[in-house]
Amino acid sequence: MVRGTLRAAGWAVVFLAALLAPKALNTYWLHVTAIAWYYALMAASWALLAGYAGQFSFAHMAFAAIGGYTSGLLAVDLHLPPVLGMLCGVLAAAIVGGVIGWLCLRLRGPYLSLFTLAFAQILQLILIAEYQFTRGSLGLSVPPLFHGDSDLPYYYAGFALLLFSLGIMQLVLRSRVGIFLRATREDEDAAEASGIDTSLYKIAVFTLTSAMAGLAGGFYGHFVGILTPNIVTIPEMGLVVAMAVVGGVESLPGAVVGAVFIWVLSEVLRDYGQMRFVILGLVIMLTQRFAQNGLVLLATRLIAKRLQPQRVEESGAPAA
Amino acid sequence: MAEYVFLQAANGLVTGLIFALAAAGLTIIFSVLKIVNFGHGVLYMMGGYAGYYAIHLLGVPPMAAVLAAMAATFLLGVLFERLMLTPLYTNKVDRKDEYAIIVTFGLFMLLENLGIVVFGPFNKRPPSFVEGGLHVGLLTITYDRLVAAAFAALLLAALALFMQRSSLGQALDAVSQSRDAAAIIGINPHRMYAIAFGLGSALAGGAGALIAPIFSLSPTMGDLPSVQAFVIVVLGGMGSVPGSIVGGILLGVVEGLGVGLYPDPNRALAYSNAFGALLLILTLLIRPTGLFGRPHLRME
Repeated sequence: MVRGTLRAAGWAVVFLAALLAPKALNTYWLHVTAIAWYYALMAASWALLAGYAGQFSFAHMAFAAIGGYTSGLLAVDLHLPPVLGMLCGVLAAAIVGGVIGWLCLRLRGPYLSLFTLAFAQILQLILIAEYQFTRGSLGLSVPPLFHGDSDLPYYYAGFALLLFSLGIMQLVLRSRVGIFLRATREDEDAAEASGIDTSLYKIAVFTLTSAMAGLAGGFYGHFVGILTPNIVTIPEMGLVVAMAVVGGVESLPGAVVGAVFIWVLSEVLRDYGQMRFVILGLVIMLTQRFAQNGLVLLATRLIAKRLQPQRVEESGAPAA
Repeated sequence: MAEYVFLQAANGLVTGLIFALAAAGLTIIFSVLKIVNFGHGVLYMMGGYAGYYAIHLLGVPPMAAVLAAMAATFLLGVLFERLMLTPLYTNKVDRKDEYAIIVTFGLFMLLENLGIVVFGPFNKRPPSFVEGGLHVGLLTITYDRLVAAAFAALLLAALALFMQRSSLGQALDAVSQSRDAAAIIGINPHRMYAIAFGLGSALAGGAGALIAPIFSLSPTMGDLPSVQAFVIVVLGGMGSVPGSIVGGILLGVVEGLGVGLYPDPNRALAYSNAFGALLLILTLLIRPTGLFGRPHLRME
């Protein structure tokens, strides 16, 4: 009870801090944080796919690329307004995600990872090779979502998109579907035997998370203004994996905190160049080795312990 | 024209054999530890650099440097296994597949970027095994390629012999078939896990050291071979060493044909790596156990 209130209060503080943060940030850090929302959306939706549904996909960045490039190309070639383009991007990512999810049904564990890795590589090569459409490695210039020089609208738009997507994902997890997904992850055969249509839910979660990656990609493209095939590369995917792992792959808010933390950290360490990614690799390995539920959960537990020392003594007694 | 096709085929065979060596390492790790090593490509890269520095700092002759590289990557593999993979053998980890994917992926990020920091982003080229080349009409196959292919073939043969005839190889195979049954007859599975990961790493490292004089070294050199090794292993069947050899050669042929037959030659080269990835996807969809997959090694 006390812990629940404490948690709610904690999230309220985080929410207010995020709303008021732009007042304290200069233009550079405002830009950085607005991009952090993109990564937070990627990490949270990947955490749902990998952590809850157990589908360890390496193609998540590919769906962001599908969303971003669909929206960007529609805006450039057909002069579609960005908002409409982003919707089409979400739709395209959802459709491709559904098909990939359907193709992956028979594949478990590492085989699904290999499949999605191969898919991401093919997509990256297509984006490079079909340069007359995508501008190849030079990058596609994408019109902005908002007019004017300020990043402030992007900050709030990104934050709103993140909250909206988190809301949908939490609703899904709180419903029976969330229990079905976890049951499927823990023991697929037992879930099938209990009458759960595991195939349906696996495809559905792949479609949903791909759509969210597509949304994130569309936002990113119209914000940054240029899309290159680099967004599909393994280091980018590694960044998202690191964010989710540090935040805890089984916690969506954890993944969000992990994403913001890692992204800001990597900006702070920008002067160290490649050393940043060395540290990230180390962080991934050590977090997984010693704190599998992520550092965010570890940190909140430590804080909660410090705030309520009496709870620790009680914990041995059976709950009333 | 015939000479050109012959040359392409010969070059394909050489790289196919070397990639097959790395893939054999991947398959040994898979069959004994039941994990896919997503860090295989960086072990291949580390092998290449280990060979390079053995030649330049220790004055080791190029061919012996390949063995030195294998020894170094063996130790690196054992170290990683002891430090990071031991939780897999206990009940501390709920979902072992995902644990293994994450830590081996972490190894990949760590070593590839450490490579850029320590070795520098620019290409390095170790000296040739043997200077010069074999002339076929107007075309030349360098002796480096021939030596590397022969070396790789020798190592693959030695590996097959080791797995079938030596008691250690038999013990590895026993653990791959049933960890508990192997433990009952007195094989220590933990020792076998360390040896298998070390051996798999050494094979990747040896492949990296062999390819170094042919294509030069760079910290990202492992990116492509690791995907290629996945293709080979899945195509040949996880856990099958002969499957890796056949898979390696098949992949070379498919990529060669794909590039040769694609209507637009400019784009064909850009897509050359996509053919392998497509082959991987198709194999996974049509026959996930691969051509020579052993049923008891199927991933559940």
